[in-house]
Amino acid sequence: MANPILSAQGLCVESVGGAESFPVLTDLNFSLEPGKILGLVGESGAGKSMIGRTISQYLPKGFTVTRGMLKFDGEDLVGMVPERRRNLLGREIAFIPQEPLSGLNPVLSVGQQMKEHLARIGLASGENWRQRALKEFEAVHLPHGAALLDKYPHQLSGGMCQRILIAMAFASRPRLLIADEPTTALDVTIQARIVKLIAEMQKRDGTAVIFITHDLRLASQISDEIMVLYAGRPAERGPAKQLFSAPAHPYTRCLQLANPTITGPRRGLFILPERMPGLRVLKELKGCRFASRCPNAIEACTQAEPPLAEIGANHIAACIRTEKTPEIVPPRLAPGRESSSAKIHLCGEKLTKSYTTAWSPFALRTSFKAVNSVDFTLGEGEFVGIVGESGSGKSSLARLVVGLDTPTEGQITLAGRDVTANGNSERAYRRDYIQMVFQDPQSALNPRRRIGSIVTQANEASGLHSSTQERMDRAAELLKEIGLPPDAAMRFPSQLSGGQKQRVNIARALCTLPKILVADEIVSGLDVSVQAQLLDLLLKLRDEHGFSMLFISHDLSVVRYLCDRVMVMYRGKVVESGKTEAVFADPQHAYTRSLLAAVPPDDVNMDWSPVLAEAGYQVE
Amino acid sequence: MRMFATIAKLLVKRVLTAIPILLVVSALLFCILRVLPVDPAAMSLPPNATVQEVEAMRKEMGLDRPIYEQYGIWLGKLLQGDIGRSIHFRQDVTSLIGTTLPATVELAVIAMMVATVFGLAGGLFLFYVRGTRAEAVMDFVSILLLSLPEFLWSLFLLLIFGVFFEVLPFTGRLSPGFERPVVTGFLLLDSLITGNISTFFNALEHMILPCLALGIALSPSLMRVLRSSLLDVYQDDYIQQARLRGLSEKRILVRHGLKNAILPTLSLMGVQFGFLFGGTLLVEIIYSYPGMGNLMVDAIRNADLPIIQGAGLTYCIAVLVISIAVDSLYLILNPKLRAR
Repeated sequence: MANPILSAQGLCVESVGGAESFPVLTDLNFSLEPGKILGLVGESGAGKSMIGRTISQYLPKGFTVTRGMLKFDGEDLVGMVPERRRNLLGREIAFIPQEPLSGLNPVLSVGQQMKEHLARIGLASGENWRQRALKEFEAVHLPHGAALLDKYPHQLSGGMCQRILIAMAFASRPRLLIADEPTTALDVTIQARIVKLIAEMQKRDGTAVIFITHDLRLASQISDEIMVLYAGRPAERGPAKQLFSAPAHPYTRCLQLANPTITGPRRGLFILPERMPGLRVLKELKGCRFASRCPNAIEACTQAEPPLAEIGANHIAACIRTEKTPEIVPPRLAPGRESSSAKIHLCGEKLTKSYTTAWSPFALRTSFKAVNSVDFTLGEGEFVGIVGESGSGKSSLARLVVGLDTPTEGQITLAGRDVTANGNSERAYRRDYIQMVFQDPQSALNPRRRIGSIVTQANEASGLHSSTQERMDRAAELLKEIGLPPDAAMRFPSQLSGGQKQRVNIARALCTLPKILVADEIVSGLDVSVQAQLLDLLLKLRDEHGFSMLFISHDLSVVRYLCDRVMVMYRGKVVESGKTEAVFADPQHAYTRSLLAAVPPDDVNMDWSPVLAEAGYQVE
Repeated sequence: MRMFATIAKLLVKRVLTAIPILLVVSALLFCILRVLPVDPAAMSLPPNATVQEVEAMRKEMGLDRPIYEQYGIWLGKLLQGDIGRSIHFRQDVTSLIGTTLPATVELAVIAMMVATVFGLAGGLFLFYVRGTRAEAVMDFVSILLLSLPEFLWSLFLLLIFGVFFEVLPFTGRLSPGFERPVVTGFLLLDSLITGNISTFFNALEHMILPCLALGIALSPSLMRVLRSSLLDVYQDDYIQQARLRGLSEKRILVRHGLKNAILPTLSLMGVQFGFLFGGTLLVEIIYSYPGMGNLMVDAIRNADLPIIQGAGLTYCIAVLVISIAVDSLYLILNPKLRAR
């Protein structure tokens, strides 16, 4: 066995600075050998990112390592003099951030930042930095490197920024790389390319990698070993394939079952109830941290914290009933809907939206079609998914449907009436039928209004339920439907979790009982457990109210679980559409096939071979 | 190259929009001052003039014609550089402004430099002590400074350095007996050009107190804006990422932090600089400094309409020039604003 490049023994991180102290990371043990990839998986707040911050020792204020060892190549990272550690950062230990666009300084050109980094790691001085930078760009398959050096981050796509950051990270041939959710903010096809790129570079240099992600399926594809974290403590650790195909800890199993599948028969989603316990309550918790949400929990689980026990070769789990884990099964799928009723609610014909650049004496006006001659229908109670990469026109189409934009050409018919003109009367008519759920609840919910007032906002315009008492009653009904406690009505959005905010976002759209919802990426960026809760909520609400929905998503497995039909969009056009299962099982268009291939397969033994050739870089 | 094209484009656009702004301001100046209950004709005659003489003067000055015609005549003359004659000083307004404006510009520019130095240094210090006990003290001090107006500083400084210690002069621009070269009208510049070093230093001495008073009064808001934008910028990912690349804190501050945080500070400086042209008034009076402020006060006291109009227009042009300059600077510093 080679010497580990990074090893942790009984590592504990606690917050001691504030009024109360609480554990952040508890009893972490792992060792990472050169050339290996360790996947760190868990819900948000599980402490995944804290490990990276512990390695760099840039911990939040008041957080400190209270026990245990963390060694880099035999050197103690925690006790090390800061100067020595800073010397390692960027040279021996490199980081790739979650948000590629904000990871680069907006006021410096790519070349300036590359030059600074190359000079810092001592690779190039004077004018030869340029050659070196181009060489590093070539290694990460960035063409037109010379032109790229003069660009600023805002002129580039997220995928390109991430490639630049990867080029920077690998420029010094580091021995350890920490990639913190490097693909979460990116499209599924770009995600596949970036993940494959990291793996390729890692192989080239024999770099050890810590790959942090909330996607167990993705982690199992690229990692050698996986550690699942729950509330700051490892729940399970083992060889990636073994852990994924036979998870021993109930939490791992539940996470896996909460994620919809992309191949094979559709199955129900396991709904993890509630939320992970907050770090502040952990001290009072006597038993297993997962016990309150665990379907297999028994009396003994709440008595003492289960030790990490060996259950196979290099495979450990912190559970006293691992033999029961395989018995956790997903709920039965609700019987498929017969969408034969075929009463058409909404119909778009040859919809086109073109945008023209602003007039300028220095350049010709150019126009491009964000939506190009799209035909679609939406039947009563039908969920139709729209998939495609960013820039494919999904959101532009949604804006046309809800009336935020007026189409350049084509016609929209809503419940038998032509609403293309989008005048005042069309708007009033449309408002009763269609509501939109926005992507980011953080910015969609007015932070200064109480939840009760937010969810009944639509009543202000309609004049229905106009008295305060009526509105509060309606708010209580809505909150009950979306599964929030009644006292939430008096709270502000900042007092809710991400998943709860998205529920409020949905409740607001449902207030006036619209016939159609348009949902734009409403589950992306959420934990799989929260995602599963929301998806089932939408299905439940459809059973009760019978609305139909246009569901925009870049996550194909979510669309597969939720939607009856799917439309695949590429550069403003619908390239393929049909029944979801039929399209995904036998895609006809090459673009659909490349989208599907980009999703990590459900079966860890299946080969994941996404199409890596990019359709064309958009370098000016 | 693209940057210059963008700046050229901005300049053309801004100069074109400046024209209607100036027209509106000139019309406002003209009309509002006409409404005032002062009779320019009567004022330009000796007090013992007869009613007939006043009438004749009114006719001669065109005051009997409709107001838009009067405005047309005035505007026509204005475009030829003739703003009229001061009633009180019996001098061309252009030449009056020509001698006082450079004095005020010198005062404003040096005061702004003082404010920038104090503002940046103070802002960095406030940022540096963040999260420590010194922060509360510094916060208190900066708010205290913020609440002291420039005329109080003028009086303090005058009493301390001028009257008590008697180390610095506090009236006018030059001590008696110094030669006063005139090339551009800017005293500091002219004395350097003509090699008159003793005049240069004497003029500089005279500027220290008024510039300090103005600069100190302007700096606290700059400090606070710089501090808060630095705090914002330090929340951004690229700062964390720069740390993780092992860059030193000093380098992160200068190259990554300040470069981004300076942008809001710069817009505030632009606003302050514009205000300085009207804001030197009290300081000029306290230090008997012969600038536009003193000219304005005299003009208002004597209801000297041509000067008020001229000074108003000068102020408007100064603000427009400054805002164009700040916007160009913004383009240079912020690549996001440049055309793609």
